[in-house]
Amino acid sequence: MTAATTRLSSRFSLPQLSSRQQLGAFLLALLLAFAWLVPWLFDADPARQQLTRILQAPSLAEPFGTDHLGRSMLARLAAAIRLSLGMALLSVATAAIPGVLLGVVAGWRGGWSDRLLGSLADACLALPGLLLVLLLVAIAPGNFWALYVGISLVLWIEYFRVVRARTQALVTSPQIEASRLLGFGPTMLFRRHLWPELAPQVFTLAAFGAASAILAMAALGFVSVGLRPPTAELGLMMIELLPYYHEAPWAMAQPIIVLFVVVMSLNLLAGKDPR
Amino acid sequence: MTSMTLTTTLLSVEALTVDGDGVSIAPITFALEAGQRLTLLGETGSGKSLIAQAIMGTLPNGLTTSGQLTIASHTCAAADTTSRRALWGRTLALLPQEPWNALDPTMRALPQVAETHRYVAGRSKPDANSAARDDLIQLGLEEGLNKLPGELSGGMAQRVAFAAASAAGASIVIADEPTKGLDAPRRDDVVKLLAKTPDAGGALLTITHDIDVARRLGGEVIILRQGQVVERGPAEQLLNQPQTEYAQRLLSAEPSRWSDPSPFSHQASSPVVSASGLGIARGGRQLFSELDVAVRPGEIVGVVGPSGCGKSTLGDILLGVAKPGAGSVIYQDGMPRLGRQKLYQDPPAAFSPHWTLNQLLEDLLRRHQFEYRAVAPLMERLGLNQHLLDRRPGEISGGELQRFAILRVLLLKPRFLFADEPTSRLDPVTQQQTLSLLIELAREQACAVMLVSHDPALIAKVCDRQLALAG
Repeated sequence: MTAATTRLSSRFSLPQLSSRQQLGAFLLALLLAFAWLVPWLFDADPARQQLTRILQAPSLAEPFGTDHLGRSMLARLAAAIRLSLGMALLSVATAAIPGVLLGVVAGWRGGWSDRLLGSLADACLALPGLLLVLLLVAIAPGNFWALYVGISLVLWIEYFRVVRARTQALVTSPQIEASRLLGFGPTMLFRRHLWPELAPQVFTLAAFGAASAILAMAALGFVSVGLRPPTAELGLMMIELLPYYHEAPWAMAQPIIVLFVVVMSLNLLAGKDPR
Repeated sequence: MTSMTLTTTLLSVEALTVDGDGVSIAPITFALEAGQRLTLLGETGSGKSLIAQAIMGTLPNGLTTSGQLTIASHTCAAADTTSRRALWGRTLALLPQEPWNALDPTMRALPQVAETHRYVAGRSKPDANSAARDDLIQLGLEEGLNKLPGELSGGMAQRVAFAAASAAGASIVIADEPTKGLDAPRRDDVVKLLAKTPDAGGALLTITHDIDVARRLGGEVIILRQGQVVERGPAEQLLNQPQTEYAQRLLSAEPSRWSDPSPFSHQASSPVVSASGLGIARGGRQLFSELDVAVRPGEIVGVVGPSGCGKSTLGDILLGVAKPGAGSVIYQDGMPRLGRQKLYQDPPAAFSPHWTLNQLLEDLLRRHQFEYRAVAPLMERLGLNQHLLDRRPGEISGGELQRFAILRVLLLKPRFLFADEPTSRLDPVTQQQTLSLLIELAREQACAVMLVSHDPALIAKVCDRQLALAG
């Protein structure tokens, strides 16, 4: 009885974030504000080159300095964060929606649909994630969609597997049997019974998934198979600034710090306090 | 208070309180000497289990405790949980609720018990194994030595858990609802098992809502209600001549003291559900075969039998949820698909915990186009308050939730209702209220009820007819 109530209250404290999650949400909000406010407040073009003012140290006019082509680091960082977070959101959504739906179908129907979808997921898993993305990028180099499809293809399996396992256990539970006997259809059963159980796990996966999507994109940019210059992208910025690390360590450090903070904020948001 | 005596006090609890998360237990004081038994008796939600957890030092987060404990001459504050860890197993053992869930499902019985001998009592490996073997054989588990918990029956699993918990020679055993979900013969076995500890000079603290268990164990009894001690005294005196009004109500709610049912008068009408030659096997074992059942409108049929004999499976077949291995089920003409309903053993398990009852009720009304006005009289009959509807299933008591389940089911005007131990997790007072309401309403609506129970006295008092499954 009491155990049930504590379990319940912990379930419903989901919107009340723990202190770690609050920190993560705060960092993420800062990044978002930075990424979207900079183009508003500063007249800065991430692609405008000023070859007379290369690798300048931070100053009042250029708070983050300039890179090796005299481009504003402030504008480039803001653009890179927008790109990374936008891409992460897009690939998480495209991975989560089919992942959850197919997981529910496989867990609920069982039998052939389960086996078929399960083998499809296994087939996607047979290739290491980054290799799959590389393969697609090789087909269409420098293309945004190849990166996006590749990352989503890797990410949906997690949702599928978690949701399928959870659904299998829930479908045979008395609560669903009772509702079914009372005449409720599949939509209602999903809304009332499955989704509330699945949602916390799906959101956790989504936050981790967003972090790994951003990392994957930066890694591909770093090895120069991702997006092409002059796009402002974190990995690409790192590799471009690498030759100048001696003259302008602050410029090189900026994309690294930003990537670190983005990934950390998402991981903090996803992670629960150990109980 | 008491001067020095020759008997040794094994467990003494001084002004123990538990607070937080909507529960509170008033200061409770008791002492257990060697060879003594104490039973805490009370309805669900009266805070019995919290007392056990407070003594063990395993209270869930968010609950605070105060008071002083003396466990085998080791005194500590109740709030200081870490100091008691060293006593676990060696001095203080807890037999948890539903012990089959406390066993490692991937480990056979013998090594499971030997583990305690080896790591808690510190014996060598061969010694631990032979000691575990002796323990289990003594408990009559020769055949179960090399079985996995999943292959053991509930009663056997209970004995294995008991052996594992007490292997390190703990002199104080706390049993939390040891008979929950067990049928009558197994219940008696458990009582005998528990009595071994005080007989051997230990102390036994039992927590139960089953009056029969308290009576068989004897010793001292404390009746609790909402965290307050209602009455305490020796078992014989308290259970035969209770002084307080609540204790009297609790004791008179025992099934064997219920009044006899009104006789069933619709013998002539054609059966709602009839089945012939039913048979089914589960997990390679034939549960039943050549079974014929027929239930008439308004008739209450009791189903009895040992655990695992296929009572619930029979229900699933009659409800049309499962297919029989052999035989056929015939429904009365014009039986709607929603005319067959079920009540579940564990009320919270039958509800999604995330929605308020109001939401669940609205869903049902919208799905079946009922008027809200039609619900109010039935709610009143079932004693469900309007304000309960704002809560979630986990936030009301099991009895209230089961009555809400009855409300949902009866709104559909079912012809056949399968009630799978609907009151086995409720305390006697709530059980009596809930069952008598169910029976009354079923008779009124001419709904056939099949009632599963492990309590023969209850079936005898409530049902028109009995169906015994052999198992």
